[in-house]
Amino acid sequence: MQKTTVLHIIGVVLIAFFLGCQQSPEPQGSTENQIISVPVAQISFDDPRSINFNRAPATTIKMLPQNIIAPILKTASVTELTVRSVYNQDWIAFQLEWEDQTRNAVVDVDKFTDQVAIQFPLDPNNPPSFMMGNKDGRVHIIHWKAIWQDDIDKGYRDVQTLHPNYWVDMYFFVDEPVFAEGELPKEPNIRHFQSIEAQRYMPGIFTRNPVSLVNRTTPVEEAMAEGFGTFTTQPRQNANGWGTWQNNRWKVVIVRPLVSEDVNDAPIPAKTVIAFAVWDGGDKNIGSRKNYTPWIPLIRQIQ
Amino acid sequence: MPKVKNWQINREMEYPYEENRPKRQIGYVFDINKCIACQTCTVACKTTWTSGKGQEVMFWNNVETKPYGGYPIQWDIEVLQRLDGQSWDDEKQTYEGKTVFEAAPQGERVLGWLPKEEDYAYPNLGEDECAGIVEKGQYFTGIHPVWMFYLARICNHCTYPACLAACPRKAIYKRQEDGIVLIDQSRCRGYRECVRACPYKKTFFNLVTRVSEKCIGCYPLIEKGEQPRCVQTCIGKIRLQGFLSKPEEARRDNPIDLIVHFKKVALPLFPQFGLEPNVYYIPPVHVPRDFLEQLFGPGVESAIETYRNVHEDKELLGAFMLFGASPKIIHSFRVKGETAIGYDEKGDEVVRVPFSEPLYIRPYFDRKHDTYRHNIS
Repeated sequence: MQKTTVLHIIGVVLIAFFLGCQQSPEPQGSTENQIISVPVAQISFDDPRSINFNRAPATTIKMLPQNIIAPILKTASVTELTVRSVYNQDWIAFQLEWEDQTRNAVVDVDKFTDQVAIQFPLDPNNPPSFMMGNKDGRVHIIHWKAIWQDDIDKGYRDVQTLHPNYWVDMYFFVDEPVFAEGELPKEPNIRHFQSIEAQRYMPGIFTRNPVSLVNRTTPVEEAMAEGFGTFTTQPRQNANGWGTWQNNRWKVVIVRPLVSEDVNDAPIPAKTVIAFAVWDGGDKNIGSRKNYTPWIPLIRQIQ
Repeated sequence: MPKVKNWQINREMEYPYEENRPKRQIGYVFDINKCIACQTCTVACKTTWTSGKGQEVMFWNNVETKPYGGYPIQWDIEVLQRLDGQSWDDEKQTYEGKTVFEAAPQGERVLGWLPKEEDYAYPNLGEDECAGIVEKGQYFTGIHPVWMFYLARICNHCTYPACLAACPRKAIYKRQEDGIVLIDQSRCRGYRECVRACPYKKTFFNLVTRVSEKCIGCYPLIEKGEQPRCVQTCIGKIRLQGFLSKPEEARRDNPIDLIVHFKKVALPLFPQFGLEPNVYYIPPVHVPRDFLEQLFGPGVESAIETYRNVHEDKELLGAFMLFGASPKIIHSFRVKGETAIGYDEKGDEVVRVPFSEPLYIRPYFDRKHDTYRHNIS
């Protein structure tokens, strides 16, 4: 590793350490340098919007632009993330809140979606690198995307979502032919392309790439990683989430089992660590071009 | 960053990975002088591979008119403007400027740029537009004062792909068996770093599958010994696909080696980018040399002279005869008298092309059938 890169990393870690957390002005209480998850009676896994975080103290964390490994994000457009957490005997939930002037929930070559992710170490006693872990130091990531939520809420974000006047003479192997009946025919949507023959022209879907899921049931994806470039979707998905964008702020809830039977899920003992990443679609954040936090202590308050 | 040898710029250069050339490398020669921009190649590719939803404005193969055409819009100008000082030592034929890898800003692997979605919406922009106005009474001879030409473009299946270098997930790979560069459709997560990095802009984002796609070199055809769709269907017979040897291992009886390595009549597109692209172009003879040298490097003048004198070079003429002559990949050839003979990998003859097509002149009046005939072809 080059000397400059090492110094860079040390610098980033020191900045992260000193700026990592600060007291939140939230009236319902706040914590410094750590996230306190408080016990509550009710947590609905199926309806994350109903989870009440009023009793949870808020921790506001400074975010940093990922500039350790190429390709980098030069400057952070999301500088702060406010986190609250609650749990009960079955579930633990996190509410993640940040300022974002634009709601970005479509993708095209130069369009990017808003996203947020939380990360836990598989071994809380020996956390690996906060940057997606390292070899033999695995992390568990739960990743929410605005476009996935809109896929569920409003229907698959299709060609016509972005380009209502796109016109194509014909697509091959459309399941239900779409004819003009006295007016302009409607373009076939993704539902009309279910046959194997049709999906051969949509190779991401044909190869079952988890990014190309058209029948998504949750806006979050669980993954594991052991370093940069190793993000791998978990075979078993058992997390949920939902986000709302109001007054130029995203408020996203992510919920997962407190004790999971999935061996790829990180355990959540009374004391562990957690890290966060936020992608601002309007700032063309994607992949490693993200705003991140280092590991932050996560403590489950005992009743 | 490791140093690798790039013979097209005649020097070592920086690349994010060590040199790892495939066992054999797919290569193409396009004779621009013969292209009429009929777009048969474009349509053949489109109907074969990119007719799906999300691929509406995706053309793995396109033919654009130079100087004003470009798909996506101004793809070449965008890179050239960013890559300052592209000077060559003409005597040594060594590139003295920086490649897109060497010129990468801090924190980036490649000097790249990301097109806008609209940039893909006008693949025929600038079609047939000349470089200037034809004055009344003007006539053409040699290099034209007013000019245009057609540039057919596909993925160059580069020896040093920028798309592969830029992918943070290593979802792009170069096949050892044929050097074809592919995006793993199950591994890509649609970061578009490859779209940003490829200076030729031949990786594309599919907004329905949300992952990136690119020309696959028609590898199912290659695997059974056939040339790709765009080559087979070219009605102007401007294309030849084969396997290009390393310069030091070039075989004179391999038509593509003869054209590229021995006769140096076909040149890479923008060699100064540093990717060692494997599509080679015979430059158009009528176009001002400055423009051509920016596109194809310092070998342009010599290539055109060789091309103009091909009628005196039966060996090279024989290789030219094989363009569009067979759907099979021609691994070797020889010239026998006035005929070029092409062979497949096993050495079996796959095509025999006479230098001059036989001419039959039929009598105007056919006595046998008591009818009059015209000689039309």
